[in-house]
Amino acid sequence: MSSASRSLIVAAALVVMTGSALTLGAVDQDFRGFQRRPPPMITETKADYDGRFVFMRLRYGAADLRLMRREPPWAHDFPRADFHFMKILSELTLTRTWLDQGNVRALDDPDMAMFPVAYMSEPGFWTLNESEAAGLRAYLLKGGFIIFDDFRENHGDNLVSQMRVVLPDARWVPLDVSHPIFHSFFDINSLEVEGYYGPTEWTGIFEDNDPGKRLLAVANYNHDLGELWEFSDTGYVPVDLSNEAYKFGVNYVMYAMTH
Amino acid sequence: MFEAIFRFFFELSPVVFSQGEFRFAPTTGSYVAAAAVLVAVGLTLSAYRSGRGRPRDRAILTVIRVALLAILLVCLFRPLLVVKAAVAQQNFLGVLLDDSRSMQIADYNGQPRSAFITDQLTGPNAALLKALSDRFTVRIFRFSSAPSRTTAPGEMTFGGSQTRLGAALSGVRQELAGLPVAGLVMVSDGADTADAALGDALLGLTAESLPVFTVGVGQEQLSRDIQVGRLTTPKTALKGATLMVDVVLSQSGFDGQQITLDVEDEGTLVSTQQVTLPDAGMPASIPVRFTVTEAGPRVLRFRVSPQPGELVTENNAREALIDVRDRKEKVLYFEGEPRWEMKFIGRAIKDDSNLVLTVLQRTADNKYLRIGVDNADELAAGFPKTREELFAYRGLILGSIEAGAFTGDQLRMISEFVDRRGGGLLTLGGPRAFAEGGYAGTAVADVLPVVLDRTRIQAKDTVSRLTVKPTRAGSATAVTQLAANETASAERWSTLPGITAVNRIDSVKPGATVLLTGTDDTRAERPMLAFQRYGRGKAFSFLPQDSWIWQMHASIPVEDMTHENYWRQLLRSVVDDVPDQVEPSLTTERVEPGEAATLVANVVDPSFVELNDAIVMATITGPDGAISDLPLSWDGEHAGQYTVSVPTKAPGWYQAKLEATRAGQTIGTTVTHFRAAPGEAEFFDATLHAATLRRIAEDTGGRYYEAGNTATLADDLRYTGRGVTSVEEHDLWHMPIVLMLLVGLLCAEWGYRRVVGLA
Repeated sequence: MSSASRSLIVAAALVVMTGSALTLGAVDQDFRGFQRRPPPMITETKADYDGRFVFMRLRYGAADLRLMRREPPWAHDFPRADFHFMKILSELTLTRTWLDQGNVRALDDPDMAMFPVAYMSEPGFWTLNESEAAGLRAYLLKGGFIIFDDFRENHGDNLVSQMRVVLPDARWVPLDVSHPIFHSFFDINSLEVEGYYGPTEWTGIFEDNDPGKRLLAVANYNHDLGELWEFSDTGYVPVDLSNEAYKFGVNYVMYAMTH
Repeated sequence: MFEAIFRFFFELSPVVFSQGEFRFAPTTGSYVAAAAVLVAVGLTLSAYRSGRGRPRDRAILTVIRVALLAILLVCLFRPLLVVKAAVAQQNFLGVLLDDSRSMQIADYNGQPRSAFITDQLTGPNAALLKALSDRFTVRIFRFSSAPSRTTAPGEMTFGGSQTRLGAALSGVRQELAGLPVAGLVMVSDGADTADAALGDALLGLTAESLPVFTVGVGQEQLSRDIQVGRLTTPKTALKGATLMVDVVLSQSGFDGQQITLDVEDEGTLVSTQQVTLPDAGMPASIPVRFTVTEAGPRVLRFRVSPQPGELVTENNAREALIDVRDRKEKVLYFEGEPRWEMKFIGRAIKDDSNLVLTVLQRTADNKYLRIGVDNADELAAGFPKTREELFAYRGLILGSIEAGAFTGDQLRMISEFVDRRGGGLLTLGGPRAFAEGGYAGTAVADVLPVVLDRTRIQAKDTVSRLTVKPTRAGSATAVTQLAANETASAERWSTLPGITAVNRIDSVKPGATVLLTGTDDTRAERPMLAFQRYGRGKAFSFLPQDSWIWQMHASIPVEDMTHENYWRQLLRSVVDDVPDQVEPSLTTERVEPGEAATLVANVVDPSFVELNDAIVMATITGPDGAISDLPLSWDGEHAGQYTVSVPTKAPGWYQAKLEATRAGQTIGTTVTHFRAAPGEAEFFDATLHAATLRRIAEDTGGRYYEAGNTATLADDLRYTGRGVTSVEEHDLWHMPIVLMLLVGLLCAEWGYRRVVGLA
């Protein structure tokens, strides 16, 4: 058991023992007297649909953030990545966008349908229940599109297994650079990209598993576009990398809106 | 009855009075007697000038006495009716007998109408024929589509599939030309099935002063009958198209009865519905929805099952020919900004094998994405800049693209695309569309069914949230049908999620039809889908910006096809009946076997300018597989219009493949079909058309008779004044009416005297 998990169990036991309504957010040190990291401060905003394009980040896992020592996986790079990407999309294209802090939805949120492009960060940690699986399945089959980003190592296995719950017959297919998704706005002529975590693998799920049909999902294994979007205004990451990350993001959205 | 009363009072028939000339034939004695009468008048005036009684009584008695003397005076001058009467056996009489199928209808005293002809004119004891033959040399003709001389009773079959009254009259008139003809007698139900008007035929008869005496057989209203009346179906349709056809039903004797209305496509049932019949004499239009799934010439049969006691069952079904085309109709969609509407429209029709969407998507300023192009050059320079390029498409969708994105000539091209090319235009709602997109005052604004007002535009970044429902007109068109019948469709519309609009449209053009309306949060209603015909084409405007919600919304099941069906139906309507460069048409889709069909082709160049110097050939394939080539020639009157008459022999389908060339270059080819088959028109509106027969008689100077009232016909015919005639003088002084007047006036004078005490 990791130390983080152990800490959580001990903290939970403390709450039970004291029988108080004390919240962990109010505790600033653990029982050993070490300073605790403050719980993440994530403001989950939701867009009100008005016809404009809205970037939607999918939330999964526990809704209560008070037990977490850092932001949950779905919220990595949120909200700065979302905001930066929308700003770039708005500047580069004629897409009318809703520019705000973000639009976070659970997978079984009925209003998810109003935003046909979805983004999921860290799918390696993704868990979903039946209603979420049904919600995402309907979303994709009716015309939605999902981007999986920021995962590496064996996280891909979790993505595959979770998507098997959503679309049992779906197969992940490596994408070729000639696919229209890489030419929907920018012409991306090479997929040999050194990703955030290693050589990137670009895979997707096609409608009816037919590569001639529409892409329902795209996954950037070993890459983290969101991180590159998030820090694109800080100088932490090279400008070229951010530029390339934006290109993929813009192309994904353009493809989703036209195919 | 009137005739008998008239004869009782006047001794002669009305015809003699109408044809005769009134004269006096006084003798010398007449003048002497007249002088005596005048003396008597003078004495009367003198006697009543004074004396007993009140002046008023004396005046009345004076008037009575003078009237009596005046009648005597007239009679003394021997009034005559001089009339030309046909000399017996010196004149010909043409008798036209209706030999069409409608004469089989049993509404003549419970017998078929033909029974009158058999009893009175062709049978062994034909009384009317005998009466006519005693006076004239009778020539009998039978007619349906054309007249032919008949000499034997058995030649009447009552099987003709048409009744052409005008052709029959003209034909007999020409047949008897040069003979002394007293007149014509036409025995018919008057149910004319000819396309041509009667006027021309009547003009010829009137010019020759040849009177037609008509005899109407049958009833003016059938006691128990259901009729499938007028149908309006498209001549062509795309394979898989859902059609909505208004079927007009009328009936007598079946008020309020429930019947089943079926539609069969070449024998396969494609629609069935229960219908409550309207009141007698009140035709009702029943919308019928069905889908044509097989390509080629299809005969659609709209049928009501025969009901017990129905007099005519042949009019319970009506057929319509639809040329179902299995081809890809290319639609250009120009979208000015990345948005979901384009994606979901494309998805909606992607499985429609007859619609091809070519998308020009503007993604950034001067940056375009082309989807569904045929080759690398198509739309490479953006929106078409020439008419040839634009007119190659059959439909055009303008998304959220501002007017400023086009040149002035391109805007005019779009207008001409509808007006001249005959294409279908669909404009979609969006922040860059309609007045918000600067279209007010442009050439495109003229085409649109909605009114654009640049002073009344929606505020930027505001949306109207609307629920959409069909109008009455929308409920009756295939475009907005979302389910198998009207009720289910209305129910489906009521459950669809709300959508949004960013264009303010308050009104439509006078000639436009609103098919969908939207109700916003303030309960205000505005048009959502409207269309109008403009020139040769048509224009639709769909105001919402996000109908894709009808596909994506959480309340819509994955397998729901509402969005797909709506867009397929709408786009099919947009490209429906859009003409080709070589566009065929037929004056009628069916001809009688042996008759010729007139084939017409309109030929234009790629920019849809009419061509009068093209070579147009028709390759006709008959039902027996025989192939013949016929050249079409320019009709010399209409620009670009070529015609040819195609003879038919055997019944069945005829295919006409048209090819137009010019300077060795093929302009276009197209295929059309027509059918040679006996028609059923005889049984539609097959009541006695007495008004038609009356008109024939009145216009030509003849008379109209009901079938049971022809006793005076033979006599009346003697007085037409035509042919070899002798002058007959009929004294009028001894008419019973004269004696009655004289006796009546004497009695009146005596009675009045008694009343006032002067007797």
